[in-house]
Amino acid sequence: MTVLALHDVSKSFGPIEVLHDVDLALDSGQVHALIGENGAGKSTIMKILGGFLDPTEGQILLDGKPVRFSSGPEAEAQGIVVIHQEFNLAADLSVAANVFLGREPGGLRLDHKAMRRDTAALLARLDTQISPDTLIRDLSVPDRQMVEIAKALSRNARVLIMDEPSAVLTHREVGTLYDQIDRLRADGVAILYCSHRLDEVAHLADRITVLRDGLVVRQAMRGEMTEDDMAAAMVGRELQDFYPPKGRPSQDPALDLQGLSVPGRVHDVSLTLHRGEVLGIAGLVGSGRTELAEGIVGLRSATGEICVNGQKVAIRNLRDAFDAGLAYLTEDRKEAGLLLDKGLTQNLTLADLPRFGLWRLDQRAETEALAHATQEFDIRAPDPAMIAGKLSGGNQQKLLLAKTMLPDPQIIIIDEPTRGIDVGTKQQIYAFIRRLADEGRSLIVISSEMAEVIGIADRVLVMREGRIAGEVTGKDMTEDKIVRLAMGVSGEAA
Amino acid sequence: MKPDLHTLGPLIALIALIVLGALLNSAFLAPANITNVLARSAFIGMIAVGMTFVITAGGLDLSVGSMAAFLAGIAIIAMNAALPGLGENWGTILIGMGVAILGGIAAGYLNGALITKARIEPFIVTLGTMGIFRSLVTWLADGGTLSLDYGLRTLYRPVYYGGIGWVTWPIIAFALTAFAGEWIMRHSRFGRHVEAIGSNDRVARYSAIDVGRVRLLTYMLLGLLVGLSTVLYVPRLGSASGSTGVLWELEAIAAVIIGGTALKGGRGRVWGTVVGVLILSLIDNILNLADLVSPYLNGAIQGVIIVLAVVLQREKRTADER
Amino acid sequence: MQRRNLMKAAALAAILGGAGAAYAQDADKKIIGVSIPSATHGFMGGLNWHAQDSIERLGETYPQLEFVLSTAGDAASQVSDIEDMMATRNIDALVVLPFESEPLTAPVAAVKDAGKFVTVVDRGLSQDGIEDLYVAGDNTAFGRVAGEYFSENLEPGSKVVVLRGIPTTLDNERVEAFQAALEGSEIEILDMEHGNWNRDDAFTVMQDFLSKYPEIDAVWAADDDMAIGVLEAISAAGRSEEMWVIGGAGMKQIVERIMNNDPQLPVNVTYPPALISSAIEMTALNFVSNAPMAGRYIIGSQLITPENAEQFYYPDSPF
Repeated sequence: MTVLALHDVSKSFGPIEVLHDVDLALDSGQVHALIGENGAGKSTIMKILGGFLDPTEGQILLDGKPVRFSSGPEAEAQGIVVIHQEFNLAADLSVAANVFLGREPGGLRLDHKAMRRDTAALLARLDTQISPDTLIRDLSVPDRQMVEIAKALSRNARVLIMDEPSAVLTHREVGTLYDQIDRLRADGVAILYCSHRLDEVAHLADRITVLRDGLVVRQAMRGEMTEDDMAAAMVGRELQDFYPPKGRPSQDPALDLQGLSVPGRVHDVSLTLHRGEVLGIAGLVGSGRTELAEGIVGLRSATGEICVNGQKVAIRNLRDAFDAGLAYLTEDRKEAGLLLDKGLTQNLTLADLPRFGLWRLDQRAETEALAHATQEFDIRAPDPAMIAGKLSGGNQQKLLLAKTMLPDPQIIIIDEPTRGIDVGTKQQIYAFIRRLADEGRSLIVISSEMAEVIGIADRVLVMREGRIAGEVTGKDMTEDKIVRLAMGVSGEAA
Repeated sequence: MKPDLHTLGPLIALIALIVLGALLNSAFLAPANITNVLARSAFIGMIAVGMTFVITAGGLDLSVGSMAAFLAGIAIIAMNAALPGLGENWGTILIGMGVAILGGIAAGYLNGALITKARIEPFIVTLGTMGIFRSLVTWLADGGTLSLDYGLRTLYRPVYYGGIGWVTWPIIAFALTAFAGEWIMRHSRFGRHVEAIGSNDRVARYSAIDVGRVRLLTYMLLGLLVGLSTVLYVPRLGSASGSTGVLWELEAIAAVIIGGTALKGGRGRVWGTVVGVLILSLIDNILNLADLVSPYLNGAIQGVIIVLAVVLQREKRTADER
Repeated sequence: MQRRNLMKAAALAAILGGAGAAYAQDADKKIIGVSIPSATHGFMGGLNWHAQDSIERLGETYPQLEFVLSTAGDAASQVSDIEDMMATRNIDALVVLPFESEPLTAPVAAVKDAGKFVTVVDRGLSQDGIEDLYVAGDNTAFGRVAGEYFSENLEPGSKVVVLRGIPTTLDNERVEAFQAALEGSEIEILDMEHGNWNRDDAFTVMQDFLSKYPEIDAVWAADDDMAIGVLEAISAAGRSEEMWVIGGAGMKQIVERIMNNDPQLPVNVTYPPALISSAIEMTALNFVSNAPMAGRYIIGSQLITPENAEQFYYPDSPF
């Protein structure tokens, strides 16, 4: 039975039409996946369904009757709840306080008991161990997502709109998410699931809608589309060779670590990265991958020996790492990578300003550098004077890559190269990575996406609890082998 | 750099005030009055230019008014002490100037080091040093007033009152500070780093910027400018007391905000600050020159204009986000 | 939590320690508490100096007396000071210059109710009959004496400007008396603005007066700190010949210039910060002599002229 539907909906911002005659139906007890590249119009659809935007033309039907929501809370009152990619939780409040935020029970004095009791019941229903009294800031990311879901349930959600729910989760945590979704589906909730991970979509969705440039290009039921079909429909062409061919790394060591430790996080890691090589590092979130990278480039204090091209170097801070020809592209694009409220040029040149003048910054040269980077990394910016925050996720990532490459580093560590970006851009980024390696640079790629590490890397190291748990190469580079190493499952070791 | 309402707003307000002043009293545009207003803006103005950097980097300094009083106090004491040995000449005055400037840098370093090395909130650190500097000058003056020796004062006087024609030294110093400040904010690496840190200090750290050092330098720059403005302040009245520089810190912060610098940091506008300082002095001047409202209400008028200036900018900003 | 307990413990220890000290004192010893505002501007600085000076002097003369001096930055902390004096020092008498009348009335009344001797200085409480002794300057006379000098020494038709203090009752009384004294003299008050008893503010206001009025014959600056700022503004504008300035309160630099017959500063009006000394002395006398001290003492404002200036000159005072 259809709960919420869009009928012939179009949406324009000024002269630009971003949605064109979209039809979409969410049925109770069904998961409806919405896929498309960044900018295809997915978030506009979510905003219209969630009551944050009005359609320019067409109708929203709730239980078959046309409705108009004037705000998000009004849609929520009707049981339509959106779980945003950036969680909407107050970090300093408890789980219970967040679940009931804005509709606290009790008169003048809050009814803490009822809030705690009801929250505990909701969390029990989700089969989690979270305590209602924990502060959000003390929760892990997947637990926060559980709280979001509990919050949605407490609002008696009939329709749940989830924006990239798995983007922040690791392999194992995604499993828990699937369980929760199955549970909600069995309860008769209608779910709209937006994701870039096509394997998930194939696994979860009862129905799939593919969006491209504001148009619905294909709708299909479960099992009617393969992942390749989906990708092809999204980009509008056949995706041959999603990953670039493997390279032929030399045997010269570019980076050599001996017994590198980051107190409490990384223990006694030794590894060698060869010139022209793409070395993948896999492992669960919390296994010390990011900490290892940050320890190498001086963002965390580390002990041990680091040799670049056979020369021992002392890296006390990031500046030292730059001087040694190293660079690090952070996993946290929005909070550590780019100044979202600043222009593209400022972002591009921030880490390499000395190149643009000792005293007076040569702003013309900066502009030229941006023009060059835009071309080299295919950054699609409608207006070169815009701020970085207005770029789509994929273009932000390309800008961050350009920023990282500006000092011309020879050894590049890339942490989560394609988090939260669309398929087309992913493919481009993979091509960039391979090109950099082919130019004789050496790269370490850290990723939570198994397929990505296997697809892009020449060799994969797996980390577990701050140590290198093993290495897989050639034909052994399979998800199964990597997962076993990452989880410490014994048996037939690789 | 497209001029938009956002940056033009304070400038329009300034022009409106000038037109209003000229209509209300013909003496307003007399060179003497213009000199007075600009020269008396100079102290707060130079401090506010320094404050622009501190605020843009995400900091705050509440101690500048007390610091100015303290620096004026120790400069006077130093000059009076050097007088018997060196005599009544520029050497003695240069010692006083040196004490004020070096003292300013040291005081700025103290604030900055407590903030960046001991990692204490800027608000708390500078609230503390505000009380410390204020008490120290009251103590040094024994609760009264520290006065510069009369002869030295006569020699030193032209530094405030003299100049090139009607353009007196404080005006020149203020203008140079403003130009230098604008240049540093717009065109130097330091200025770019300051903005980046205020915008997101984690991104700055991940871009190999020494965040602590840049923050420390902003406080030292502010201390230097407080010292320079003290050098110009002392010859005006030749004295310092516990009531010198009271509320200068809030005037300086208000000028910075009126000028369009974001209090949360990340966006610094030195020209805006200059305009903000002039707006604040002009309101006072116009209210004194014209009998518009009861003098009891002067503070209210200032308050309304400050809030209005900020509201206008915020409306523009939300419009940006749509 | 832990920290709060610690602080409580510290406070308790302080109270106990203080009380212990109080009990340990000689039973015959009388303790006089003195509570005044802190030295935030020149006049209060002078007042603080005089208070300390007379405490030192009296303490030497009368070993059976002990003094407790506290200065407060605002009315609320002054109330706390007085409560502390009662609780921890067990004072026998209180000399208080109230920051503001209203908030201090009830706490001072409580001191009186506890059977202590109370002397109120300068600013009256909002309720009559609490204090044993009241010592104050005469604000009306302060304005009147200045006004009379203006009307006697200026030609009819002369123009004057006035700098007022911080807006308070005290300031209003002075200014009203000044205006009353000018009545019928045909002297025109061009303008009045608040200079807040502050040199810098007075300088700014005077600069603007000078821009606004091409002709000014005299300035009533009403306070010597303000007079200094005013004189500086006048000299910067090169109009020193045109007008003279009357300040007030007898600051030593100003008195010195009057002694030297400075044409710009013909006279001054006293409002001596030394009145706190009189109050402390009279309170002390209540305990050391047999004559009970009580009543109201208004210390009149006098005109300081070059002839009598020497007797108002305290070279050691910071004011």
